[in-house]
Amino acid sequence: MTYIEHINSLLRARLAVAQDTVVFGQNIVAGSCLSGLTRGIRVPEGSQILQTQNSENTLTGIGLGMMLRGVSSIYFLKQLDFLLLGMDHLVNSYNIVRRLHAGSSFTLFAIVVDQGYEGPQSCLNNLDDFCSMAHIPGYVISSGWDAEVVLNRHLFAPGLKIICVSQRLFGTALPSWSEPVETDGAGEIFRYAQGEDVTIVSCNFSFPQALQTWRYWQERGLTASLFSVSGASTSDWSMILQDLQRTRKLLVLDDSKSDNRSSDRFLLAVRESALADRVLVQRRRFAPEWLKPNPDLLEVVPAELFQQLQ
Amino acid sequence: MVAEENKVAWRLAERVVHNRIAQMMINERIKQRAFKVPVHLAMGHEAIAVAVAESMLPDDALCLTHRNIHYNLARADSLRAEIDELSLLPSGLAGGWLGSMNMANPRRGIPYTSSILGNSLSVAAGISLADRLRGAASVTVVVTGDGAMEEGAFFETLQFMKSCSLSSLVIVENNTWSLATRIAERRCPIDLDKLAAAFAISYRHLQGNDVGDYYRQVQAARQEAIAQRTPVLLEVQLTTLGSWLQPTPEFPEGKFINYHHGAAPKVALQEWPVLEQDAGDPLFVLAQQWDEAALRDLAETVSQRLAEEVS
Ligand SMILES: Cc1ncc(C[n+]2csc(CCOP(=O)(O)OP(=O)(O)O)c2C)c(N)n1
Ligand SMILES: [Mg+2]
Repeated sequence: MTYIEHINSLLRARLAVAQDTVVFGQNIVAGSCLSGLTRGIRVPEGSQILQTQNSENTLTGIGLGMMLRGVSSIYFLKQLDFLLLGMDHLVNSYNIVRRLHAGSSFTLFAIVVDQGYEGPQSCLNNLDDFCSMAHIPGYVISSGWDAEVVLNRHLFAPGLKIICVSQRLFGTALPSWSEPVETDGAGEIFRYAQGEDVTIVSCNFSFPQALQTWRYWQERGLTASLFSVSGASTSDWSMILQDLQRTRKLLVLDDSKSDNRSSDRFLLAVRESALADRVLVQRRRFAPEWLKPNPDLLEVVPAELFQQLQ
Repeated sequence: MVAEENKVAWRLAERVVHNRIAQMMINERIKQRAFKVPVHLAMGHEAIAVAVAESMLPDDALCLTHRNIHYNLARADSLRAEIDELSLLPSGLAGGWLGSMNMANPRRGIPYTSSILGNSLSVAAGISLADRLRGAASVTVVVTGDGAMEEGAFFETLQFMKSCSLSSLVIVENNTWSLATRIAERRCPIDLDKLAAAFAISYRHLQGNDVGDYYRQVQAARQEAIAQRTPVLLEVQLTTLGSWLQPTPEFPEGKFINYHHGAAPKVALQEWPVLEQDAGDPLFVLAQQWDEAALRDLAETVSQRLAEEVS
C-alpha cells in the first residue's frame, strides 16, 4: 500500500461518519481527486461535500464563519502555497473567532508540493511559518504510520489547525515497520525505534532521510533511536529529551524552508537541557538555486554523517 | 491594399500553424518524458495567442499564467530557446531559471508569468502603472482563465486598472475548465459583459478561432485602451484540445479526460496538424479560409524550419 492510499483509506473511514460537517475545496471530487487524497470520499446525511471555485481567501473565511455557527469543516487544498491567499483570515479573523467559536473544528488539509521541479513559485513547505503567524497547531503526516494518530486525534479536534501531506511521498510504499510506534501525550511526536548510541529526530517531511540514516547506521552496528516530529508548533519535547539522556548524541533533520523551524525550538530546548554532547544538524539553507526548478530535496549522506559522529 | 491585407492574413496563418506544430513537437518530447518540469500545452489557444503577439508594439507588456506556452512560442525567437528552457538549460529563453509555469521573456515583452492563479493580474496592473508614470504610450496585456478569474484579485485588478485609467487588456481564456472541473461543477455562471459594464469597461467576446478576426479585435481593443486610457476586457471562448477517452472498468467505452497538462497522449505529430473538425480548432478554421494545398505546403515548410531549429 502506498502512503496516499493509506491516508485516503483512513480519511474515507473518518469522513463516512462525520456528522454535521462540510468538506470543501477545489477539485476534491473530480479528476484525480487531488492525486488520490480525496478519492471516493463520502459523508453521512446532514453533512456535505462542496466542490468549490478557486477563491482561497474567501474559502478560508467561510470555514471560520461556519466555526462561529458551530459547524465543523475541512478545506482540502491542492497546494500549501495557495493557503497564502487565506493568510489574513488565519491570523486576523481567527483571533476573533478563536475566542467565540463553539467547540467546532476547522481543518485546513493541504498537500505540500515538494516533489521538485515546480519552479520558483509553488514549492512552499513552510508549515512552521503558517502555524507561527496564526498561533495555531499544525501536523505533518511524514511516514504514513503517523497518519492514524494525526487523523484520529487532530482531524476533528476543536479549533483551527493545518494538516499537511507530502506530494513527494504519495506514490511511495509505506515503509515496512514491525516495531510498535509510540506517541507522546499530545500526539505530536512519534518514536519508531529506541537505540543506545544516537537519537535521530526528523522534522517536517524529512522522515525518509532519517529512516535511511537509521538503517545505514544499524547495518554498521550503531543503534539509534528514531523520532519524527509531526507537530509544527510542538513545545513539549520531554519524550525526546528523555531519550537523549541515554544516548547524549543527536542528529536533527529538517527539510522545512522556513527560517523559523520547529527544529529551531527543539534545538533550543536541547541546549537548555545540556543533555547532548554531540549535535549534528541537517537543514535547508536558502540559496539562489531555490529560485529555479530543482529537485527540492534535503540531501543527506548517511556515510558522511556516520563519520562525523565517530 | 488588398495585397497588403492578404500578406498580413497569410502571416497570421503561418504563425498559427507554427504555434501548433511547435506544440506538437513539444508534446512528443513530453511523451518521452524529456522534461522534469510540468508543461501545460495550449493546443486550441493558438488564434488568440498569435493575435496578441502580433498586435504588441515594442513597449507593450504581456503577463501570463501557468498555461503560457502559446504566447511564449508566439513571441520567442526560436523553438530551441523554448525547449531549452523546459529542459532547464542555460540556453533556454530565461537561462533555465524559470522552467515551464513561470516562463517569461522580458526581452520579447513578457516580463512576468505566475503559476499562482490571479497573481499575474495585480503585477500587470503595477507594470501598467509604472509604464504610465514613465510616459510610455504602451499597453499591458494580462492573460487569465475562467478558473483564475474566480480569485478576488481579478475583480480588484479591474477596479484598480479602471480607477487609475490604465491602458490595459485583460484577456480571459475561457475553456470552461479549471483542472478537472467544468464551470457548472464549481460555480454559478458569471456574465463578464455585465461585470465589465459595472466597472464601465468595454467588453469584447471573441469566439470562432478566426485569427484574422481576433487580430483586428485585439488591435481595436488596444487602440481603445490607449485612446481612452482604460482597461478593456476580452473573453475568448476556446477549447483546450488534447482530451481523450480513457477506458476504465466503470466506463469500458472510455471516460472523458479533459486535457489539463502533461502529454496529450492521443495527439501525434502529423503532416497536417488539424486536430478537430470544427471551429474549436483554429487550424480547422484556417482550412475553411485558405486553399488546402497552400496550407499543407505551409505546414511542411514550417515543420522543416522547426525541425532545423531544434536539430
Ligand atoms: C491560487 C491558486 N489556486 C489554485 C491553483 C491550482 N491550479 C492550477 S491551474 C488551475 C486551473 C485554472 O483554471 P483556468 O484559470 O481556467 O486555467 P486553465 O488551466 O483552464 O487554462 C488551478 C486550480 C493555483 N495554481 N493557484
Ligand atoms: Mg480554464
